[in-house]
Amino acid sequence: MSTLLSNLALGFSVAFTLHNLGLCFLGCLVGTLIGVLPGIGPIATITMLLPVTFGLQPVGALIMLAGIYYGAQYGGSTTAILVNIPGEVTSVVTTIDGHQMAKQGRAGAALGISALGSFFAGCVATLLIAGLAVPLTRVAQLFGPAEYAALMTAGLAFAVVLARGSIAKSIGMVLLGLLLSTVGQDLETGVNRMTFGVANLSDGIDFAVLAMGLFGFAEVMRNLTVEQARDVVHGKIGRLLPTGAELRQSAKPVLRGTVIGAILGILPGNGAVLGPFASYALEKKLARDPRRFGRGAIEGVAGPESANNAGAQTSFIPLLTLGIPPNAVMALMVGAMTIHGIVPGPLVMTRNANLFWGVIASMWLGNLMLLVINLPLIGIWVRLLKVPYRLMYPTIVIVCCVGIYSVNNLPEDVMLTALVALLGYAGSRLGFESAPLLLGFVLGRLLEENLRRALAIYRGDLTIFLTRPVSAWLLFTGLVVLVVAVLPSIRTRREQVFVED
Amino acid sequence: MGRVRVHAPQDLVAGCSLVAISLFALWAASPLDGGRMSAPGPGLLPRVLAVMLGGVGVWLVILALVRPGESLGRWPLRGPALIALSVVAFAMTIRTPGLAVAGPAAMLVAGAASPETRWRELVVFSVAVTAVCVGLFRWLLHLPIPILAIPGWVVL
Repeated sequence: MSTLLSNLALGFSVAFTLHNLGLCFLGCLVGTLIGVLPGIGPIATITMLLPVTFGLQPVGALIMLAGIYYGAQYGGSTTAILVNIPGEVTSVVTTIDGHQMAKQGRAGAALGISALGSFFAGCVATLLIAGLAVPLTRVAQLFGPAEYAALMTAGLAFAVVLARGSIAKSIGMVLLGLLLSTVGQDLETGVNRMTFGVANLSDGIDFAVLAMGLFGFAEVMRNLTVEQARDVVHGKIGRLLPTGAELRQSAKPVLRGTVIGAILGILPGNGAVLGPFASYALEKKLARDPRRFGRGAIEGVAGPESANNAGAQTSFIPLLTLGIPPNAVMALMVGAMTIHGIVPGPLVMTRNANLFWGVIASMWLGNLMLLVINLPLIGIWVRLLKVPYRLMYPTIVIVCCVGIYSVNNLPEDVMLTALVALLGYAGSRLGFESAPLLLGFVLGRLLEENLRRALAIYRGDLTIFLTRPVSAWLLFTGLVVLVVAVLPSIRTRREQVFVED
Repeated sequence: MGRVRVHAPQDLVAGCSLVAISLFALWAASPLDGGRMSAPGPGLLPRVLAVMLGGVGVWLVILALVRPGESLGRWPLRGPALIALSVVAFAMTIRTPGLAVAGPAAMLVAGAASPETRWRELVVFSVAVTAVCVGLFRWLLHLPIPILAIPGWVVL
């Protein structure tokens, strides 16, 4: 307990410098600003804003990126409530009752409870991260290469199951991501692999090129081809603070949502996605009158929004302690950390204690700032919602262009991104998702390194993955999850979860 | 033997693409040393992954033949092609003459991708956004992006 406090004290001493407070604030503000724009989710927001952090120190950069991430999450909820367009899967549920409330002139209450619930969830999740970081890191240090490889494989299996769309296609994308990660110089022998003599490729395919191509440009290409029905609420926002009755109604849903979201968020694979759905289903089941749901029930906003934020935050745990990103957003964080020369993993906590605890402390500060900046500025966000897409998308294009160029100052990178974007667009037409690909790509090098090390240590004996208990257990879990997901009966239910609207 | 019927054209094309990528990767990795199990070489993992990817591709093709699924759907090409073109335009103009030209150029080409574009509005807007980009990336963040660089005349 005392170490926890001293760790947090260290964190706050780092986060409370004027510089880092400013970056945290800026990150939250810009994240909300971009995240509020309809059709731009957290992944696209972080991708676009990644270059903004290039010139910063690693601590500041990560603090700002975390701020951008939460900001984008908050912004996404605002869009979900006011425009009925979910910025990403996790705010799909919010559109159900949130938008109904907005139509009834209670938009303010919906926004208010979503902010308050998220703040509460954020506080709990931050404590949870701080508390779990030390023990989990210890566990991670006991892991040998075989266990690591097994853990990553299990994580990828979860990611496949929790991605939308066909299981076969998700597996294909994870494999393709892994395959793409093998391009470039081999870490052990220094041999160039599949580079076709292109000098730029011997460092591997650039992460920023892949991310911006798939999530920046290809997203624009996709959005241009679908008609977006915008249903901006024109009426009054109403009072922002929920009434006492509404607060009492929401208290328990917020608590339950926080617990559900926090637990699911820790899962490897994209567990955080399930939080809001699970919370909504639970609240509907527990409610005295379930018919109110879908017609503006405040519990239907309070619970899922808390779960959403709790999960968003606890998904940092696998990244910070094990170095394994559980979802595409965290994969972007890995990319960002690598660009700043930090290798995510259990060593970060000991080697970069300042960074580690500073980032955790700034998570809580970021949540506080979001509460403070979001509610008073709601008028500005509403106006932003009216920015037409015809002006928005050229802006996204130009910001991403400048971003990729500034990674290596190479026009060739920009060209390559255009190609990646076209391929990503074609892939999406064929029903392939980009998120599992990015996750596979980021985990690829780490997986190969551990796999080869394990094979070398145990003289090529593949059975060690099954005879060492931890690795066997992890692989078994991954396998069970995959098999269960392929079984038809579960598959229909899984589809229902994602289709529900 | 009845005639083979495709029930899910989208899955069929998706599966064939994966098989094609897998074959390409196998070919690209063919000069690499696979090593032995006890001393895996650089070629081992790429080959294993490529084979697995091909397997998933075959799985998708089989699914497409036995299970009803989605049609290929529409493939609007104008928008995506113009977006890609605008990115290429940016890449070709960013070194010389620099962002002051590359920015508006990319945005105007991108503008052609949407039928809703209002040209006069976009011209003004693109200049404004470029100015903001210069302010943000060059002055605030000190990234070495050429703003206006015409050899022998001006370098900013």
